[in-house]
Amino acid sequence: MKISLNWLSDYVDISGISIDSIVDKISKAGLEVEEVIEQGKAFEKMFVGLVKEAKKHPNADKLSLCIVNDGNEDFNVVCGAPNVAAGQKVAFAKVGAVIPSNGLKLEKVKIRGEFSFGMICSEKELGIGENHEGILVLDPNLKEGTSLADALGMNDIVIYVAITPNRADALSHIGFARDFAAIFKRKFHYPKIELNESGKKSSDVAKVEIVDSEKCPRYVGKVVLGVTIKESPEWLKKKLKSIGLRPINNVVDVTNFVLYEVGQPLHAFDLDNLAGNKIVVKCANEGEKFVTLDSKERVLAASDLMICDAAKNVAVAGVMGGENSEVTEKTKNILIESAFFNPSSIRKTAKRLGLSTDASFRFERGTDYNITLWAAQRAAQLIKETAGGEILSGEKDAYPSPFDVRKTSARFNRINKILGYKIEQEEVVSILKDLGFTIEEVDSEKVSVGIPGYRHDIEREIDLIEEVARVYGYDKIPDIVNISVTLDEKIDQASFNDRVRNKLNSLGFYEIITNSLLNSEIAEKFGYPIKVLNPQSSEMSHLRPSMLPGLLQSVSNNLKVSEKNLKFFEIGKTFERKNDKEISSFEDFDETDNLIIGLTGYSIQTEWFDKDKPHDFYDLKGMVESILRTVLPGTGYLIQEANHSNFDLCFCLSIQNVTIGIGGKVNQTLLKLFDVNQDIFAFIINLDKLKAVKPAEKVFSELLKFPKVYRDVAFVLDKTVRSDKVIENIKQASSNLLHQIKLFDIFQSDSLGEGKKSLALQLEFYHVERTLTENEIEKDFRNIIESVEKNFNAQLRGN
Amino acid sequence: MLSKISETRKLFEEDLSKVNDLKSLEELRLKYLSRKGIVPQLFDDFKNVSKDEKKNVGLALNELKIFTQNQFDSIKEKFDSLSKSSNDSELDISLPGRQYQIGSKHLITQTIDEIKEIFKGLGFSVYEGPELESDYNNFGALNFPDDHPARDMQDTFFINKNFLLRTHTSPVQVRLMEQKKPPIRALMPGKVFRNEAISAKSYCLFHQIEGLVVDTDITFAELKGTLVGFVKQFFGQDVVYRFRASFFPFTEPSAEMDIWWQPKGKEGRWLEILGCGMVDPNVLINVGIDPEKYIGYAFGMGIERPAMRKYGIDDIRILFDSDIRFLRQF
Repeated sequence: MKISLNWLSDYVDISGISIDSIVDKISKAGLEVEEVIEQGKAFEKMFVGLVKEAKKHPNADKLSLCIVNDGNEDFNVVCGAPNVAAGQKVAFAKVGAVIPSNGLKLEKVKIRGEFSFGMICSEKELGIGENHEGILVLDPNLKEGTSLADALGMNDIVIYVAITPNRADALSHIGFARDFAAIFKRKFHYPKIELNESGKKSSDVAKVEIVDSEKCPRYVGKVVLGVTIKESPEWLKKKLKSIGLRPINNVVDVTNFVLYEVGQPLHAFDLDNLAGNKIVVKCANEGEKFVTLDSKERVLAASDLMICDAAKNVAVAGVMGGENSEVTEKTKNILIESAFFNPSSIRKTAKRLGLSTDASFRFERGTDYNITLWAAQRAAQLIKETAGGEILSGEKDAYPSPFDVRKTSARFNRINKILGYKIEQEEVVSILKDLGFTIEEVDSEKVSVGIPGYRHDIEREIDLIEEVARVYGYDKIPDIVNISVTLDEKIDQASFNDRVRNKLNSLGFYEIITNSLLNSEIAEKFGYPIKVLNPQSSEMSHLRPSMLPGLLQSVSNNLKVSEKNLKFFEIGKTFERKNDKEISSFEDFDETDNLIIGLTGYSIQTEWFDKDKPHDFYDLKGMVESILRTVLPGTGYLIQEANHSNFDLCFCLSIQNVTIGIGGKVNQTLLKLFDVNQDIFAFIINLDKLKAVKPAEKVFSELLKFPKVYRDVAFVLDKTVRSDKVIENIKQASSNLLHQIKLFDIFQSDSLGEGKKSLALQLEFYHVERTLTENEIEKDFRNIIESVEKNFNAQLRGN
Repeated sequence: MLSKISETRKLFEEDLSKVNDLKSLEELRLKYLSRKGIVPQLFDDFKNVSKDEKKNVGLALNELKIFTQNQFDSIKEKFDSLSKSSNDSELDISLPGRQYQIGSKHLITQTIDEIKEIFKGLGFSVYEGPELESDYNNFGALNFPDDHPARDMQDTFFINKNFLLRTHTSPVQVRLMEQKKPPIRALMPGKVFRNEAISAKSYCLFHQIEGLVVDTDITFAELKGTLVGFVKQFFGQDVVYRFRASFFPFTEPSAEMDIWWQPKGKEGRWLEILGCGMVDPNVLINVGIDPEKYIGYAFGMGIERPAMRKYGIDDIRILFDSDIRFLRQF
């Protein structure tokens, strides 16, 4: 909210405190100053000028040539306004000034052959009014050379303060002044009210009845008769304008003024439009319609608190008045409403109606139930001052069950323990007193206080500790430099994923983070997604059930900028329903931690040492295996063919009979959906399952002391024979001397015969305890060849 | 026989001295050392040597064999290294080296890692939690009353009345304290969601890192000291900072920490970097920890904004677009 320092100084002495100091200390104490607007800044290099001479411009009929004095010297100024005349005191902007209305910086210019050193300004040019008929003529008593800001009274400083939701009490100038006074140790006071009420009694003219006293604990109705609705006086308009409010008429302006003065929202009803001159506070009938001040028809709910007269609704309580009872130019008699409404009731209604007003904003945060009467009187006084009329004596103060003063206390040693710093007892008591707490009792151990009605956020000891600490100053509490660290077990639940990331980096993959929210069409293609109740847009209405769409979208984005060779990975959560029921527990859905890796384009593009090599299926498979070997070294895994609609060539990974991941070549139809026209190889690993695998225990094995013997062999066999079957067969046919089989060449050619291929394998033999003899190797080797020849109808390739 | 051996040695030395290229070296090898060369032949002749001579001749023969082989090897080595260096000189070292592909962690991950590193040094453990959370864990347990404006501070994506996408990492605090009794020193990084329109300034998701310490003698002064230590390590020792009183339902007293940000050629300003405070007693009660016995502090910060500021990125969307031209830069 905006705070005008001129306005503020009505309640607290702010003299001698620099704006920098105000911003610094107030911000640190919890009322963050986000912006400082110095009105005077707009009028730099502008002064009160005396027009010494004004004659016709020799070369232009509509222009005048003037001599303007700024208190020191004379300036030639060309002026286009018809009303300029010698002897006037005017708003004179010198060379270098910036005109507020258009931001132009004045320079020395030649107009129709005559020099002009500055400008005589209109109200509109100065940004202080609408008048553009002619120049602004100032009070003749002003001395030339006075700064224009001072002359116009535009030297206010307005600060924009961000008020946290707990501090409803600071949403007014008086509330802000109270904190200010406590922080700077200044005196603070409420303005005095003198009412001069008439003999007639309010209660004879208007009646107030509270039906729902839980939602409306207090309602004050104050009557002023015979007012004249007109423009507000200058001082009032200026105050409202300084904080960015548009003046409307005297009565409405007064209610707004009191709202920003003390934080109590008021409403002024045209008493003559209140049937039976009566206010009834009760809940609406479900489905009832009501037209609010903004001319919109609202449908009400039975939980909405309404202000009614004897016959109809006249306002949505605490939110917005109705068109049917608003103050108009014809209004003569008014009823001022000053009430305390239940915060959560107002919040529900305002939220349901999608309406947030200055009033509802304050009511839902909690207003001061002790200020209602004062605020009504203050408004009556100001209305009488600005609109005339008579204030009826007394007021209808419906307050069926007054609130008790809430009490709490704070132990001095607890303050020290929480803060780690000792604040003197006298200081603690003085801060609480300054903030408006009533000191009920102080002994050596604690201070007991009564909580003022405007502090709904204070209830417990810890709340008082915060008040003391923030006003005392957080920066006076030292920053401890040595901390003690517990020797408790150290856990890092993120370390597994970190290892995966490191491995993928070393394999050349870039990490991506994609949106977890998808549109329904995409989301439903990839799983059984969960819908967001209040999405930002239909493009982001469902939680991703799979990591694949994010990857495909990422590839698609890059293809659009001609980046075609990509290796991406993402680690993230997917979300899937388990059933059609509404989610009512964590058992109704799966949230899974996943890794997706994706390859597309070329792994190598022609270089001087190598030829183009596109990424292929075997790159993907090898990468998956590399990841496993890194995070679960020595743990056995199984890669098998699989079926999944997302992949054309599909394989899955399992460890200890649990499927951990699936992937392959991404399905062509999906690629098209994302506008991708090149193959993508992708694999998705369920990290929760992978993490659950107990890693093989690492045991050192003696280094081999005896030589290894290698034998190469190549078989010609049918193309359809799978290599893993051949390898499996070799393992079975050989003795335990064979330790490693490496497939080092696959070759297809007509020379081998139609439908044939050659598989070349290197076999590694050794024994850990001795050197092998030629004979035993030869025996194994023979068995292997025989078995493969027999089982696969293979032929040993000539060598 | 013995004279033949010494004769051979003399001849070998003569021939050796004449070797001046690889070709003559090979001729030398063929002549003396190959299977049919002079030295192996002498070994063949050895069969015919009489018993008496065998010992002496055998020694001499072996000596000859070792001598010739060593001489040959040493001269061959000389030629080999010569020929190699002549090959090296044909290399064009200006040719580009073979480029091995590199990847990188996402800028956000890198920033989280950097922060994690600092706090791990201060004895913090790292915990994670789910993103789809219960309303209770995200709000209720953290002392956000129902129907309170405090809930407006965080625009929320709801799944239904009781489930939502977590708006902060703080529910991980709740989960942790429900499971583990103090002492607790925990750091909780993760993804969070806010129901905001996507623009250069805001995105529907971002990352946070949260800290929680609960023990018997924890103080506000220690919280301040720890965070000052952190910002000095993260932003540099000469960072200018301030603590400002603030409001979070789950801490009291609460503060925000600002650092003074001075972009080149622009006006400096205070920049909010984290929120913190002493764990509200209501939160401790909600998770079954006695607030009279234990005191806690907590802090939380966004990752995207400091990372963007550090590298001069002014549009948050680029972080989530996976543009390889962006990713390659980090």
